[in-house]
Amino acid sequence: MNTKKVSLLQAIWIWLGEQTDKIILWIYAMFFALMIAVFVSFKTRQRMSHNNGIAGEGWLKIVDAPEFPEHPFFEKGKQYPVRIRHASATYLDDAMNCIRSISIKFSHHHWHSPFDIEMNTGAQSLFWNAVSFLKFGSMRKEQYGIEYVEYLRRYPDGVDGTKGAVRRDPTSFHNLHYYSKTPFLFLGTDGIKRYAKYRVLPLENEEQTGVEHRFSEFDLCNQRVLPFDPRGRNYLKYEYEDRVKKQGAKYRLQIQLHTASDDDDPEVFNNMVLWDERSHPWHDVAHFHIEKTLDWKQSTMTTFSVNNMPKTLGVLPAKSIYDYNSLNYLRAHSEIARKARMLSYKVFGMVPPIPDNDNRNVSGWGE
Amino acid sequence: MENPTPESVCEECLKKTKIHYREDGRFFMPRLLSINHLQLGNSKILHNPLVLIVEWLYRQYKHLRDAWKRFIAWLFPRPTKVWCHHADSALVGQIHYADRDNLNTPIHNLRVEFWGRTRWLQWRKLADGYSDDEGKFSLQFELREARNWKIYKTQFEVYQTTHVYFESEKPKVALECCYVEQVPVSNLTGMRYNLRTIHLHLWEYRRDTPVPRTEIKNVDNDSPQYYAQGRLDALFEQITPLEVTKAKHLLQIEQAPETISLAQIQSDYPENLTVCIERKLPGYTRSDEWFGRRMMNGMNRGTFLPDKENHNMFWVKYFGVCNYEHNDEYALPTVEIKFALKENGLPTPTEIHITGQTNAFDKNPWQKKVFTPANGEEWLYAKRIARVNGAFSTEVDEHFTGTHLNTEQYAIAAYRNFRRSPLACLLFPHLKEVALVNHSADTLLIHGYIPSATALTENGLHQRCYELLGMQDWKNWKPMKPLSEAHTCAKAEKMFWDLTIDYVEKFFAENLEEIKHHWIEVYRFSQDLVNHAVPVFLSSIDWGKLSPEEKQLANDRIEYYTYQYSFDTSAKRETVNGELKVVSPITTSRTFEESPPEDMQNLKHVCAYAIMMATYMHTWINEHQYDDLGEVLYSSGGLRYGNKERGILAPESDLSISPDLTRSTQMLWFTNFLSRTEYGFITKNEEGDVNPLFSKMLLDRKEEFAKLGVDVNAIESRTNI
Repeated sequence: MNTKKVSLLQAIWIWLGEQTDKIILWIYAMFFALMIAVFVSFKTRQRMSHNNGIAGEGWLKIVDAPEFPEHPFFEKGKQYPVRIRHASATYLDDAMNCIRSISIKFSHHHWHSPFDIEMNTGAQSLFWNAVSFLKFGSMRKEQYGIEYVEYLRRYPDGVDGTKGAVRRDPTSFHNLHYYSKTPFLFLGTDGIKRYAKYRVLPLENEEQTGVEHRFSEFDLCNQRVLPFDPRGRNYLKYEYEDRVKKQGAKYRLQIQLHTASDDDDPEVFNNMVLWDERSHPWHDVAHFHIEKTLDWKQSTMTTFSVNNMPKTLGVLPAKSIYDYNSLNYLRAHSEIARKARMLSYKVFGMVPPIPDNDNRNVSGWGE
Repeated sequence: MENPTPESVCEECLKKTKIHYREDGRFFMPRLLSINHLQLGNSKILHNPLVLIVEWLYRQYKHLRDAWKRFIAWLFPRPTKVWCHHADSALVGQIHYADRDNLNTPIHNLRVEFWGRTRWLQWRKLADGYSDDEGKFSLQFELREARNWKIYKTQFEVYQTTHVYFESEKPKVALECCYVEQVPVSNLTGMRYNLRTIHLHLWEYRRDTPVPRTEIKNVDNDSPQYYAQGRLDALFEQITPLEVTKAKHLLQIEQAPETISLAQIQSDYPENLTVCIERKLPGYTRSDEWFGRRMMNGMNRGTFLPDKENHNMFWVKYFGVCNYEHNDEYALPTVEIKFALKENGLPTPTEIHITGQTNAFDKNPWQKKVFTPANGEEWLYAKRIARVNGAFSTEVDEHFTGTHLNTEQYAIAAYRNFRRSPLACLLFPHLKEVALVNHSADTLLIHGYIPSATALTENGLHQRCYELLGMQDWKNWKPMKPLSEAHTCAKAEKMFWDLTIDYVEKFFAENLEEIKHHWIEVYRFSQDLVNHAVPVFLSSIDWGKLSPEEKQLANDRIEYYTYQYSFDTSAKRETVNGELKVVSPITTSRTFEESPPEDMQNLKHVCAYAIMMATYMHTWINEHQYDDLGEVLYSSGGLRYGNKERGILAPESDLSISPDLTRSTQMLWFTNFLSRTEYGFITKNEEGDVNPLFSKMLLDRKEEFAKLGVDVNAIESRTNI
């Protein structure tokens, strides 16, 4: 391996560069969080994207014979209360071609929990670092249910991510596959540093619905409800409510691990690059059963944070806005936005439930 | 010399009338504004001293501008170092042709580069590469280098090959930026950034003609290629005096026709070979001996088809108007000349058969007249008709179609496809500028002079060229077979062909692996050649609709042209859109590994053929034009019917059948102009673009060529004007 000699001056220069990168990242993250807090969370009483959702509660049990390295938080057989929230991003219309999500907290409280994890459909994301996320946001330019036209023209990886993530007319939130995409820290009992990705599948092997295969870029941008589609704005939430009431909803939480090494390619952290399942198999972490759904108010109040994690399972450090880990860094620094939204509910009241009217293809209450 | 022999006179006159280029350099000498402003009438010649000064100042401005560009290039160089340690991002996209029929046709192997510019204006190369077989590119670069705070802008650039030159005997490819797209730095976020489909106007085929021609939107500033400055300088020096002479004649003809005569026009132009010989040996250039000598070894390099019954007799045929659109002013009957070979190996005419209209009154196209030396004066008239028709056929069929148009189809296919293959270095030096020359010829000759000075209309010319191009194929092409020791033209042709084959073999031996590696370029070259080729001669006519005479003529033409152009009728050809394409495919395999062994041989043959057509075959006619077409009464592009019953069977003294004064000065201007290119020779290698090996091989055989009357230093490296 070639080594390069670095003078003291160069070392200082490099160190200064790294510190500058971190400062810029912090400024980025804080500025972003502040903007969201002021102009979205507080002013409009909305989340940044996943407003259209339904929450539920139940119990989660760590599997009895874990096949992944031992971790005190995931102690075998241990039970946790669990609250989840399914949502469709970003529109207030279940019948649109949307990304669907599940967010899990190991608690029945709407805010506090020892472990939160947020996942979306699709194994890959639509953006890969802080700077690309901001570009993604700035290029949304939504109109009448059509968005990201220029973004998808320019970023083919965004196209790939979108193709894998959107689900049109799924039969249920329950039969979809959800991925955390970005890796987190996993420091087990053995003290070996690992990186972890999570996913959620239905407990029983059910066919995933809503997956589209024939796309053009224009179709991807057009997320509108299909003409003559009889499904209502809340059909998925209603279906989930009925399903849970009748039989409950059972899921499995899985983990995929990568052992850290000094010469890891940065692409390991890239949420657009899948870890090979042959060398990085998925293992069951826990099974959980949702026994009841929550009303609109409780669902809306329920909130999640990557900061709600044990230190040994937390967010990986990021070095710059180009670092793939900077996405979780942004999430971790957006607490102010969560708090601003809670405050807005107190000040302005709760946003109303989504009505079953014909105001379709919209992403805001005011539209 | 008290008793000059014809040979000594010819040699003396050849030397005397040989065209030399020497720069005059006088400041106030009239200048041609641009080669692209040449006109059949009055070209844009600058006479006025004030205008000359302004034009001089403009040239100085251009020099200053060029110097400034060079200074900027020196101050802000484009280093070859690529600023990338760990490529984590990519610029992607694809490059297609921009013309409406080829919007989905990819352009392969184009050089693409991604550059950043620092705040202190220095350039940093961030990535480089090539478009792939499908026109797609993916330039891997390091995001942090592109988004370095020092970089204030980034741009994507596409380069096309403009020309090839040799440095220390090694070929170099000159690239020119043909497309620039600014990429906002803020849009670079990692992963891939898509520049989408870039449509470029590169070496497109014209849509307005079935002949494979290059689309040239504006020859001055929107053309796939431009003339080299050295060529323009040489041409300006040569042509300006001729232009002034022509302008004077045209003015006299318009303002005071009584002050000018054909003899005066003739004497105002430099003396040509026939005038010179005629002055020293009166009557010799109209003799049978000279006729046979020039038919065999002159500009026409006639094709001697053996007589079917008597194999010691030969036929040279010049087909006339045939079924092409023609006017009623000029005659162009079909002429068939029967020759016997003399003991000295030179041919002597024994019969001349003239089929077709020879006067303005009897319009029967199938009327036939046979002349022999026993016909006295009429034999002289028939020979003149044969010379004139021979000149027309040579210029239109052999010169313009056989070399200019034929070479252009190889040029456009080569420039569209050879980028990384060494074949670019082999072919480009010989294929350059032909598209420009042909573009000028469209206006000057096909639209201008020829329809006004010969029997065919512009439509007729287009049709004739289109059909005759249907006999030009590289497959199994061979040079003319010498009939005798005196057939120096054929011997020299064969010698040059053998030399070219040898050169191509050596080039392939040196570059074989790279040629194989970039075989896709050969495949696409072949595809372009075949798909855009014209159909095989008369392959799409409805024979059932032809009269017996027309059938006979068509069969005669097929037989003669097949022999003349060494056309292999048995070669396997492709049918595209219902047309049997004349150009044989070189390969049908995308990779060398998949191709049969003969494909490599095909490739060598087609390269040698293209070089042969672009250099020697064109040079022969081009350089001899002034010898055989530099005396109006001796030969011209056409004879007028006149107003007498005898029509064109009349003596030279009957000026009513020879070209009128305007056409005469234009013809002499043309033949001078076309023969006086004097730039772009293989051995002189003025632009350093000819492979030194080729020059050396030619010079090594200088004496052998000289014995056959060929000066190797006068063989053009490309199809000149």
